[in-house]
Amino acid sequence: MIINNILLGFSNILQPFNLLLVIVGSFIGIFVGAMPGLSATMAIALLLPLTFGLPPASGIGMLASLYMGAMYGGSISAILIRTPGTPAAAATVLDGYPMAQKGMAGKALGISLTASLVGGVLSSIALLTIAPALGYVALEFGPVELFAVAVLGITIIGSLSQGSTVLGLLSGAFGLLLAMVGMDPITGTPRFTFGLINLFSGIPFVVALIGLFSIPQALRLIEQGDDGTQVISRIQDRLLPAWKEFRSLIPTILRSSVIGIFTGIIPGTGGDTACWFAYNEAKRFSKRKAEFGSGVPEGIAAPESANNAVVGGALIPTISLGIPGSSATAILIGGLMVHGIMPGPTLMSEYAEVTYTLIWAVFFSNFAMFFIGLLFTKGAIIVTRVKNKVLAPIIVVLCVIGSFSINNSYFDVIMMFLFGLLGYVMEKVKMPTAPMVLGLILGKMMNNSLYQSLLIGHGSWLIFLKSPIAVILFIVSILSILQSTPLIRFIKGKFK
Amino acid sequence: MKKRIGRGILLLSAFVLVVTTLIHAEGKREEAKFPTKPITVLQGFKPGGGSDALAQLVQPFLEKKLGVSFVNQYIPGATGAIAWTQLAKQTKNDGYTISITNTPMLMTNYIMNPEITYSVDDLEPLANIVTDPGIIVVGKNSPFQSVQDFLNAVKANPGKITVANSGVGGDDFFTTLIFQKETGLKVQMVPFDGDGPSWQAAMAGKVDVSFNNLGVTYPQIRAGNLRALALFAEKRDSMIPEVPTMKEIGFNIIAGSSRGYSAPKGIPEQIKKVYLKAFEEVAKDPALISAANARALPMDVKIGEEYRVYLKTQEKVFKEIWNEVKSQYSVK
Repeated sequence: MIINNILLGFSNILQPFNLLLVIVGSFIGIFVGAMPGLSATMAIALLLPLTFGLPPASGIGMLASLYMGAMYGGSISAILIRTPGTPAAAATVLDGYPMAQKGMAGKALGISLTASLVGGVLSSIALLTIAPALGYVALEFGPVELFAVAVLGITIIGSLSQGSTVLGLLSGAFGLLLAMVGMDPITGTPRFTFGLINLFSGIPFVVALIGLFSIPQALRLIEQGDDGTQVISRIQDRLLPAWKEFRSLIPTILRSSVIGIFTGIIPGTGGDTACWFAYNEAKRFSKRKAEFGSGVPEGIAAPESANNAVVGGALIPTISLGIPGSSATAILIGGLMVHGIMPGPTLMSEYAEVTYTLIWAVFFSNFAMFFIGLLFTKGAIIVTRVKNKVLAPIIVVLCVIGSFSINNSYFDVIMMFLFGLLGYVMEKVKMPTAPMVLGLILGKMMNNSLYQSLLIGHGSWLIFLKSPIAVILFIVSILSILQSTPLIRFIKGKFK
Repeated sequence: MKKRIGRGILLLSAFVLVVTTLIHAEGKREEAKFPTKPITVLQGFKPGGGSDALAQLVQPFLEKKLGVSFVNQYIPGATGAIAWTQLAKQTKNDGYTISITNTPMLMTNYIMNPEITYSVDDLEPLANIVTDPGIIVVGKNSPFQSVQDFLNAVKANPGKITVANSGVGGDDFFTTLIFQKETGLKVQMVPFDGDGPSWQAAMAGKVDVSFNNLGVTYPQIRAGNLRALALFAEKRDSMIPEVPTMKEIGFNIIAGSSRGYSAPKGIPEQIKKVYLKAFEEVAKDPALISAANARALPMDVKIGEEYRVYLKTQEKVFKEIWNEVKSQYSVK
C-alpha cells in the first residue's frame, strides 16, 4: 500500500510540469534566502495565493522546494558579506566568512552547498520512509520538554564565546533580557515597552540579527577602505570539495542532519535553533576546537546540513499529524486547506497521492537546489570583487529593506539601526554578538515554557523531573557545562 | 543633441501634466462612482494566518463584484493592535483602506491595555463573515468521555484540571473566564501561543482539556485524535451533530472568534452603501459558501449595523468579565 503510494507520487513528480515547478521553487528560494530579511516563510505566504490555480501537489510542492532552496541561499550572503540571509544561516557566518576572507569563498560555498544537499536528501528520505513513526515525537514535546530544550540551548552560549568567555556570557545574558521585552505571555502585562505598542510583540529577533551582524560589517568595510589588501577569491576556484575532504566531513554532516531532522520535528523550533545546535556539536566532537571561528570546513558543513535537514524534519509532523513543525510548514498547511485538503492523519491515506507527490517534490528540490546553486554561486563570488565603498552602502540598503519587510514597519528599521550601533560597539570591545542572538531566540521560548510548565504542575518544580525527555536533556546540559570546567579535565587526568 | 533631449523632456512633462489634470478632473466629476482604484486591506497578523485565510476566501469574490483589486498589507504585532490603531487614527476615511477585524482581540486589546488607544467607536463595521464557535476538546486517550465527566472532575478537584487556551486576551481565554463565572467552577488555565499549540497539548495529554475552536480542530476531531465534548454555540453544528452545546447542558455560554471587515469611522455614506451591498451579495454566493465549507470556516454573516451591535455587545461582556478578574492578572 505504502509502496504503491510512494511509486504513484514518484510518477507524478516526474511530469515535466511538476519538475519545472520544483526548479522554479528552488530558484526563488535560493534568491529569497540570499537576501537578508526576506525569509522563506514570508515568500511562501506571499506566493501561496498564486498556487491556488495549480493542482495541490504541484503548487505546495513548489513552495516546499522554495523552503529548501532558501535554506541554502541564506549561506551565500553569510559567507560572502557576513550577513546571514536567513536566521538559519546565522551560525554559518562564524566560519564561512573567515574562510571567504582567506580567498576561499568558492570553497566555502561549495562546502555549504554539498552539506545542504546531503542534509536535505537525508531528511527527505526520513520523510519518505519513517514519517508516521517519527511524527509522534512532535507530540511528546510539550512545555516541559521545550523548556529543557531551551536550557540545553543556553549552554551553547558558553561555547560560542570566541575570545573571552565572560564577555560571551554577558552578551548571552543581555540577549535573554532583551527577549523579555513585550507582552507577558501569561498575564498580558506589557514589559519594558515604554508605552510603545510596536514593542508589545517583543523585539523581532530577525531585526536584531540583521542589525547586529550586518551594520557592523558595513562600517568595518568603510573603515578598511579600498587599500588593495583584500584577498579576492578566484571564480575559477573549484566549488565542490575534493573527495578526501568531503570524507572527513561525513561524520559532521550526518550528526548535523540528525540534529536538524529532530529540531525540525519539534514544533516551535526550526532552522534558527538547529544551526546553533549543530555548530556546537561539531565543535564539541572536533579535535581542533580552538580553530573554530577561523574558517574550518566543519563550522560551515554543520549548520548548513542541519538547516536543510530541518525542512524534511518540519514536514514530518505536518504530513503525519497535521501539526506544523515550523512557521513555514504552518503556512503550507493553510495552503492545503484552501485546496479542500484537511491537514491531519488522513494526508497519508485519503490524500496519499498529493502527499507523496509533495514528498518527492521535496526530495527532488535538493538536486534542483544543488545544480542551480552551482550556477548561482559562480556568479555570486563576484561580490568579493566589489569595492568596499560600493559594497558597504549596498549592505545597508539590504538591511533597511529586510528589516522593513518583516512587519512593514519603520519602527523596525530604526530598531535595526540601534542594534547595528550596539553591534558595532560590542565588536570594538570584542564582545561576541552570536550569544546575544541565541539569547533572543531562546529567551522567549524559555520564559513561555517555564510559565506553562509551572501552571501545569500547579507551581511544583518537580514537574520537570517527571518527564524522561526533559530529564535526559537536563543531564546533557549539565554535562555540557561540566565539560568546560576544570573538573572534567581533572577527572580525565586521573584516569589516564 | 542635448537640446533636442531637453525639448523632448519638456514635451513629455507637459503631456504628463495634461493627462494627470484630466484624470484628476475625471475623478472629481465621478466622485459618486466607487471604487475606481485598488482597495488596501490592512491585516494585523502575519500572512498565512487566520485573517489571511478569510482574505483569500472573500476577496476574490469582492474583486469580481466591485471590479477593482484588493491589496493586502500585513502589519503584524501587538495582536493586531498596530494595524487597528493605524486604521482608526491614521487612515484616510475615503473608503480605499479597510481592515480585517477579529474578535475578541479587536476589543480585548484596548480593554486590557490602557496604552492601546483606539476603540470600536473609531471604526465603521462593515460585515462579519466567519464565526468559529468555541469548543471543548480532549485527547483521544483522555478519561473524559462526555462534558459531564469533565464537569464532575472539575467539581471534585477545584483548580486542578488544566485547561489550555490560545493566549491571554484571545477568545478561548475569555471563554474560560466566562465558563468559570457561569458554572461557578475553577480550573487551572494554561495559555499557549495560538490555537495549534493549545490543541496539540490536549492531544498529547500535556493538559487535560483545550478550549478551542471548531474549525481549527475539526480535522483532528474527524481523524479521531481529538474528542469534542461540547460546543459554545446556540445550536449543534452539522459538522459534528453528535456533540451537545453547553446550552443543552444548562449553561448559556456562547463564544467563538469572529472575523469580518471594518472601515475607519466617517467614510462617505455612499461608499458605505456600496460595501454593504457587495458584502451582502457576496455572502450569498453559493460558490463562496462551498469554498468556506471546504476550508472549515463556519460562515456567520452580519452586515453593517448588525455587526456594529454585535461588536458593542461583545465589548460590554468582555469589559465586565475583565474588570472582575483584572486584579489577578494586572500587576500595575
